[in-house]
Amino acid sequence: MTSDHHARLRILAAVAALAVVLLALAALAACGSSGGATSSASPSATGPVTVTDDSGHQVTLARPATRVVSLAPANTEIAFALGAGGKLVAGTSYDDYPAAAKALPKIGDFQSPSVEKIVSFQPDLVLAAGGIQAGLRAKLENLGIKVFVVDPSTLDGVYTDLTALGKLLGVSDKATTVVAAMKQRADAVEQKVAGLSRPTVFVEIYSKPLMTAGKATFIDNLVTLAGGTNIGDAAGSGFPSFSSEVLFKDDPDVYVATTGSMATPVQIAKRSGYSGLKAVKDGRVYVIEDNLLVRPGPRLVDGLEQLAQMIHPEVFGSPSPAASTTP
Amino acid sequence: MSVAAKRGWHGVALAVGLSLVCLVVSLSFGAASLSPGQLWHDLLAGPGAHSATGIIFWQIRMPRVVLAFLVGAALAVAGVILQDLFLNPLTDPYVTGVSSGAALGATVAIVLGLAGGLWLTGLALVGGLATLLLVWSAARRRGRVDIYVLLLAGVSASYLLSAVITVLMIRANDDLGAILYWLLGSFSGRTWTDVETALFAVPFMIVPLFFTKEMNILLQGEKRALELGVDVERTKAVLVVTAAILTAIAVSVAGIIAFVGLIIPHLVRLMVGPNHRRVLPFSLLMGAALMGVADLISRTLLAPTEIPVGVVTTFIGAPVFVYLLRRGRRT
Repeated sequence: MTSDHHARLRILAAVAALAVVLLALAALAACGSSGGATSSASPSATGPVTVTDDSGHQVTLARPATRVVSLAPANTEIAFALGAGGKLVAGTSYDDYPAAAKALPKIGDFQSPSVEKIVSFQPDLVLAAGGIQAGLRAKLENLGIKVFVVDPSTLDGVYTDLTALGKLLGVSDKATTVVAAMKQRADAVEQKVAGLSRPTVFVEIYSKPLMTAGKATFIDNLVTLAGGTNIGDAAGSGFPSFSSEVLFKDDPDVYVATTGSMATPVQIAKRSGYSGLKAVKDGRVYVIEDNLLVRPGPRLVDGLEQLAQMIHPEVFGSPSPAASTTP
Repeated sequence: MSVAAKRGWHGVALAVGLSLVCLVVSLSFGAASLSPGQLWHDLLAGPGAHSATGIIFWQIRMPRVVLAFLVGAALAVAGVILQDLFLNPLTDPYVTGVSSGAALGATVAIVLGLAGGLWLTGLALVGGLATLLLVWSAARRRGRVDIYVLLLAGVSASYLLSAVITVLMIRANDDLGAILYWLLGSFSGRTWTDVETALFAVPFMIVPLFFTKEMNILLQGEKRALELGVDVERTKAVLVVTAAILTAIAVSVAGIIAFVGLIIPHLVRLMVGPNHRRVLPFSLLMGAALMGVADLISRTLLAPTEIPVGVVTTFIGAPVFVYLLRRGRRT
């Protein structure tokens, strides 16, 4: 055959050899990283733990996690509440509670955490959120990292997550205590409002356009538990926009704005036409910290108690002075 | 009066009548159903009314409808001016980059926690006008403004400012929703204060009416216009600045509402021909009416929740436009 043909054969052989070498390297790398938490460690005295997370997947750890990365401010709060804050090696740039959380190294923000950075911390457990982070689970598990998705939709769901995470972090006793305390506070509120009439409540998430919390939100759940009726329900689920006309037609008894609206009760009362609202005339316009109502974590009960004060001050006492229209 | 002139007047009367009907309909309907008797009573009670329905009518519904009419008119007039200056049928009022500048101003206001009151509108206006200044200086050389350099500078500015807005949005977690909603364009929660801001657009809507002759001639190109003795540079300067200010005011009170500025000039030209003496006033009225009806639909269709008004303008505008285009081609 011609030398041309020989040259081509040589090139083909070289490429094939290179491919084999690359494949071998890849195989080695894959073998190396899939070690993770399950294969390398010898089973501990307590044995492997399996729990189911909120995305329906099972998460198994041979021994309690020691290097935890949190991908949501709520998950960071949960870790600290369980006394496992010391096991956190990284959090998101929005982690702000408790104060110690701010000092954690960051893996990016809530919407698009850096997978590279997560891996660089060599976690044995990652606490992810639902929704926008749904795709992350598969990516991280492909890299051999265990992921627990925290995405409850009710207070009971939060208790379940706290218990499950207690097992994974090796702090089951503490988890039981925390859940019991939360349940006790929530039940106390529920009992005190049972049988009372339910004032209508409007929760303002944002003012321009006017947005509220509808069905299937924690806010809606908590307003109901606190003994009120959320008029935002009529607008659908999630955080829909709400017609100002209907707000005035419904004329709610209590007006609660979240800190996201960036307005004080006095400013709200001064808005065009608002002086005609019952809630303004009765001085029942309040502002509440939104994190207490939207982060699926232990502080939801704080939010519940504050809402209860705003909705039934006759039972729980008035909210702190900073929260009302009376200066 | 000649037959043509009489027909012209009939046309204007029809347009004015249609706009008034839209105005009445917009004021009569809303998420809170008020009976005709109730409406009449509230109308007579005047703006000081303290009843629940009176407040709904005077403090919530009316400023919103009036604002929608003003913004629709402003965007339509700006669209007419720019489409004819650039001699490009795909031009909308946002092409000068002014809307992106206004959007950036609003985003900065939200991120700094100044979303309440006049700060947002004020910063949006400043952003829009600053962008106009930048784009204008970029296009100005030796006393002349090259209209195509202006277009390119405007488009570049739009992209650049949008990128800055995106960065701010990414960094702003809590405010992300607020910024997104503002960008979508809406009349929700607008008050008489916003109407006061929008009223500044009215003189600028009237300015082009003094330049209809020049605008007609400019349709044949700048060279021809120069030959016919038109002061092209002065006309261009006045008209571009007018269009930019109209857009800046519209965007600063209502966000970015698509399609009205693009569609209305075409719709009107298809109906009354290219003479600006007709196109401008008709566009003003039709723009106002379309925006009013779009806002009506946006706030009543899924009450008590609302649809972004830009979605409605597109859903109405696009099919109507295609229909008219097909009809127009036969002549």
